[in-house]
Amino acid sequence: MSAGYRNAAAAAAVLLALCAVPFLAGKFTTYLAIRIMLLGIFAVGYNLLLGQTGLLSFGHGAFYAAGAYGLGLFGVHVSNNPLLGVAAGVAAAVLLALLVGYLCVRHTEIYFAMLTLAFGMMVFSLVWNAREITGGDDGLIGIVRAPVSIFGMARMPIGKDSQFYFFVLFFFALSVWAAHRIRHSPFGLALSGIRENARRSEFAGVPVRRYRLAVFVVSGAFAGLAGSLEALLESNARPFMAHWTHSAEPVLVSLLGGLSSLAGPLVGSAIFVAMREIIQRFTENWMLGFGIVLLVIIMGFRGGVTGTLSALFRKAPARERG
Amino acid sequence: MGESLLTTHRLSNHFGMVCTARDLDLTFERGVLTSIIGPNGAGKSTLVNLITGHLPVQAGVIRFQGRDITRLPIHERVRMGICRSFQIVNVFPELTVAQNVMIPVLARTGRSWRPLRSLSRETEAMRETEAMLAKVSLLPERDTPANALSHGDLRLLEVGVALAAAPTLLFLDEPTAGMNPVERVRLLDNIRQLAREGRTTFVVVEHDMDVVFSLSERIIVLHRGEILCDGTPGQVRSDGKVREVYLGDDVSDLFRYREE
Repeated sequence: MSAGYRNAAAAAAVLLALCAVPFLAGKFTTYLAIRIMLLGIFAVGYNLLLGQTGLLSFGHGAFYAAGAYGLGLFGVHVSNNPLLGVAAGVAAAVLLALLVGYLCVRHTEIYFAMLTLAFGMMVFSLVWNAREITGGDDGLIGIVRAPVSIFGMARMPIGKDSQFYFFVLFFFALSVWAAHRIRHSPFGLALSGIRENARRSEFAGVPVRRYRLAVFVVSGAFAGLAGSLEALLESNARPFMAHWTHSAEPVLVSLLGGLSSLAGPLVGSAIFVAMREIIQRFTENWMLGFGIVLLVIIMGFRGGVTGTLSALFRKAPARERG
Repeated sequence: MGESLLTTHRLSNHFGMVCTARDLDLTFERGVLTSIIGPNGAGKSTLVNLITGHLPVQAGVIRFQGRDITRLPIHERVRMGICRSFQIVNVFPELTVAQNVMIPVLARTGRSWRPLRSLSRETEAMRETEAMLAKVSLLPERDTPANALSHGDLRLLEVGVALAAAPTLLFLDEPTAGMNPVERVRLLDNIRQLAREGRTTFVVVEHDMDVVFSLSERIIVLHRGEILCDGTPGQVRSDGKVREVYLGDDVSDLFRYREE
C-alpha cells in the first residue's frame, strides 16, 4: 500500500512539473516536450503489446497514420472540432487494428512480426498512392487547430504551442493512467500469463487469441491517439507515419527505457527525442550515433534504463539492512 | 458403475508410420480414480493430449457429458471442465505463485476480462487463490516467483494451476516425476483427499507402479496405441498379457503388490 502511495505522489509531482514547462521553458523546449509526450503515448500503449503480452509488432505506424489521417479527413470534410477529430482518429485506428489484428494474432513471434510489417507497409503504399484522398507524398494539409469547445461552451484556444501543450498533456496523463490500470488489472495479469506461457494460458481457460486481439486493438488505439495529436501539432498528416521505420520507434524506445515497467517507454521516449535533437546538431546521420547509444544500453543496461536504475535502488537499501 | 463423464469413440492418432492411438473406445466415470499405464511410447500422453485438445484429433469422436468436443478449442474444454497438468513443469515462470493460480481462477469466473479494474480489489478471487494454495501446501510461498521454487514445489504448483480451473475431469501427466519421497507422499495425499471431496475426477498417467497401485480404483494399460487391459488393480495384476508386456524392470513391482 505504501508503495502505491509513493507511486501516486511521484506521478503527481511529475504532472505538476509538466504543467510548469510552458511557463518556465522556451518555445522550442515546449515543442520538444510535446513530441516526447506524443512518442510516450505511442510507446506506452505499444508496450502493452510488447512488454506485457510478448508480441512484437512492426506495423503500429499504420495505426498512428490512421489516427492522423482520420483526424485530418474528419477535420477537412466534417468538422474541425479537435475533440471530435481526435475521437475520429482513434476510431479509425481501432477499426484498422481490428482488421489487421484479426488476421495477425493467429500467428506468433517472427510470423506475427513479419505479418504486421507487411500490413503496415500496405497501408503506407495505400496512403502514398491514394493522392485524391490523402494528398499522396505531399501529405494531407489544411489541418487547423480550432479552439476546443464542449457543446459550444467554454471555448479554449489551442492555436499556440503553449496552449496546445495542455491539450496534449491531458491526453498524455489519460493514456499513462489507462496503461497503468490495464497493467494492474485482471486483464493485465492474463496478458502476462500469455507472455509467459501461451499454451498454459489456454489450459487455464484463457481464450488466448481473443486476448491478443484485444490488446492489439488497445495498443492500436493509443497509436491512433498519438497520431491524431501529431496531425494537430504539425497541421498535416504524412505517409511516412505508416512507414516501418516509424513503426520501429516504439520498439526502440521500449528497449531503451525498459520493457517491464510503465515508466520504461516514457523514459525511453524522453531520451530518444532529446538525443535526436542533440545528435542532429553535429551530424546528419543521427541514426549512427543513436545506434551506438542503443548498443551500449542493450548490452550494458539489462532491462533498459529504468530496469537498471530500479535494480540499483533495490540493492542499496538491502545493503543497509545488512 | 457411476455416471459417464467422457467417452472416446474410435479415437486414433498417427505420427507418420507410428501409431500412438488405434481406435480407442474408452469411458471415464465420475468419481473413479483412474490410472493410465504402459511402457514408453504406449500412447499414454497422446491419449491425454487428444482428449484435452493439445493435439488435433485425426480420427474418432470425443464426447464430454454428452456433448461432442472433438474439435473444440482448448480454453472451451477447460471452461466445460476438462483440464490437465503437464509432465514437464509448464507454469508461468516469472509470475508469483499466487499469480500463477490466480490466472485460472479469474478466467473461470469470467473476471479476466476487466481492463480497468484493480487486481487488488478482486478479493474473492484472492481468497479462492489462497484456499487453493493451502490445498497444495504452497501458501507460504505465495509471493515467490515460480522460477525460484524447488522442483517439488514446482510440481505442486503445476497441479495447483490445473486444479484452480476447478475441473470436473482432471488429467495429471506423471504428477510425481522427479519428486523426493516426502514430497511424493504429500502430493498423493493431496490427490486422494481431493478425490474424496468428489468435485474432481482424477485420471493419472504414471510410470511409478507404487503410485499406480496405491492410488487407483481403475487401471488402463496401453500398449502400442491399443488398450491391453482395463480393470481394477487386481484384474490388471493377474492379466497375462500385461505380464508379457511388462517383462522388464516393472514386472517385479507389479507382482510385489499381489502379496499386500
